[in-house]
Amino acid sequence: MLNAQWDRVRGRLREEYGDSAFKSWLQPLSLADLRDGILRLAVPTNFMRDWVAAHYGERIRILWGAENPDIRSIDFVVQPVRPVAAAAVAQPVAEVAAASAAPAIQPPRAETATAAAVGSAVSGNDEISAPLDPRYTFDNFVVGKPNEFAYAAARRVAEAEVVSFNPLFLYGGVGLGKTHLMHAIAHHIRARNPARTVIYLSAEKFMYRFVRALRYQDTMAFKEQFRSVDVLMIDDVQFIGGKDSTQEEFFHTFNSLVDQGRQIVISADKSPSDLEGMEDRLKSRLGCGLVADIHATSYELRLGILDAKCEQMGVSVPTKVQEFLAHKITSNVRELEGALNRVIAHAQLVGRDITLESTQEVLHDLLRANDRRITVEEIQKRVAEHFNIRISDMHSARRSRQVARPRQVAMYLSKQLTSRSLPEIGRKFGGRDHTTVMHAVKKVEELCQTDISFAEDVELLRRMLEG
Amino acid sequence: MIEPQLPLDLGHRPALGGADFLISSCNAEAAAWLDRWPHWPGPALVLHGPDGCGKTHLASIFAQRSGARMLDPAQLGAVDPFRLFETAAAAVVEDADLGVDEVGLFHLYNAAKECGAHLLLTGRLAPGLWQIALPDLRSRLLAAHSVRIRPPDDRMMEALLVKLFADRQLKVGQDVVAYLATRMERSFAAARALVAHVDSAALAAHRAVTVPFLRELLDREEDERQARLPWC
Repeated sequence: MLNAQWDRVRGRLREEYGDSAFKSWLQPLSLADLRDGILRLAVPTNFMRDWVAAHYGERIRILWGAENPDIRSIDFVVQPVRPVAAAAVAQPVAEVAAASAAPAIQPPRAETATAAAVGSAVSGNDEISAPLDPRYTFDNFVVGKPNEFAYAAARRVAEAEVVSFNPLFLYGGVGLGKTHLMHAIAHHIRARNPARTVIYLSAEKFMYRFVRALRYQDTMAFKEQFRSVDVLMIDDVQFIGGKDSTQEEFFHTFNSLVDQGRQIVISADKSPSDLEGMEDRLKSRLGCGLVADIHATSYELRLGILDAKCEQMGVSVPTKVQEFLAHKITSNVRELEGALNRVIAHAQLVGRDITLESTQEVLHDLLRANDRRITVEEIQKRVAEHFNIRISDMHSARRSRQVARPRQVAMYLSKQLTSRSLPEIGRKFGGRDHTTVMHAVKKVEELCQTDISFAEDVELLRRMLEG
Repeated sequence: MIEPQLPLDLGHRPALGGADFLISSCNAEAAAWLDRWPHWPGPALVLHGPDGCGKTHLASIFAQRSGARMLDPAQLGAVDPFRLFETAAAAVVEDADLGVDEVGLFHLYNAAKECGAHLLLTGRLAPGLWQIALPDLRSRLLAAHSVRIRPPDDRMMEALLVKLFADRQLKVGQDVVAYLATRMERSFAAARALVAHVDSAALAAHRAVTVPFLRELLDREEDERQARLPWC
């Protein structure tokens, strides 16, 4: 009876939280026992217990309460999954857990010492592994709602003594921090245990290496290198989509490492089931551990990232500029940091302070959505509106200062903002000569030197037209 | 008095040395960034500006100085970027906004980053306006530092005309330069086209490039243009 109820509860959980969350967190739960109105559910690790209790505990209690009025509360107990050989002496509960838990759970490594020795004996692993960016550490990772799940999972993998999820599959849109988390895992493991061989590389580098090994008929050494590591991390795995022989090799490497209980961490832009050009068996392998996604950033997270980055670089950037960037550059963290870098780099190059104006100027190309060309007609219209005269006055022969000055400003801006020749500009202002345009330009330049409010007017118009 | 040009079309080779490059407010920032190499704010730097603004010139000066390899944007897939950066500290991809091999460029970027090498990309528009379908590449390009070469200012325009004439072995007076600069469309491409046009017209007419010659030439062409466009 309890089992049937449990099945229904699981069905509801799957519906409510979706396949991905269900597979990662809820499927590994198993029934332990029901005593004194307390239902105990077994989870394989401490981390999972905390996570499941915090995020799903209440909902699970409510669902159970509806199924079975005897159940007053739920308790999560940690029941590590034993290797098959040990299962015979384990409690019956553990057998249940072993049977129903996802294949995500790998037996702990038995031969740590041997494997470490093999790892260090194989030369050239450091060379395969891409260099790690020293800035990409857990400490430097700014955590917010959109990425806390992935962060917690990565942290868990880095800190675990035994392999708990295999593989850890991180996915999300471009530039949201997948690579940062992978480097952080590698830094952490290397710092804690320098004897462990950690290899981090991009999927395309794996591919280039493999293709090169094929060409030089050196695939044995290639296999040896990859199959003797403790932790293998492959970034942007979507790039081996459609590359059949590379996939084949990767699949075998993957299986060999999983069989030996070595940790694998994978990143991609999509969830395993959505990867294109990937064989089904590989997809299902990739999705059988813990799948964690990173969502698009929120405004608060973006502000937090900018703040942390400025502090890291030891640069003071006005709050206004940070807010402007967090507001305007919403696509992803890479572009946000890129924009900040550009603003700072430019300020250092020209030796001036960072202001909102300089920021807009430097990021002009990013903030503008299209390549619009400014026309003389547009300039005439804007300038006429600004000085409250008629557009026809731009072409008229009237020479009163009230219309002549705006006309000169419009000519000046036409020279600054378009590539029209001076005779052409003259023609568009009622058939005036190019020397008139030159005179207007000179006049406006002089006035800008002496009259600050006039200069501001001209600058404002220029900005409006360019923006 | 200027020597008349030999009436032979011997072609001309534009000077692309560092000493020939004209620096003015419109390209000073671009030149400064190239001078700063390898101290760039990221693995890639993008130069963008209109046709004829000197992107190729800057890129080739950069390549001479850095030993960068010049790569064909359409053939990037054929390059093993890790091999490339074993021997070169930088690579240049010109016209990266026109039919570039996107996956190839993406791998090239990643390899440059990994190897501590650099990538100089050039294009007409800012990277945000490039038609890049691959999101991973797009986001890297948008995050890269990009520098705009602005339309020529007056000083640049005049210097450019002198250089373009000099490339054709034509020495022209300051009056000629001033005359053209105040009458032509103020763009790099227009300067190039105009100088080529003036050169061939002068050759055909067996005339030196002087203000009276230019006045005749441009007035006549202006009249012809007006005649073709009666509604203007």
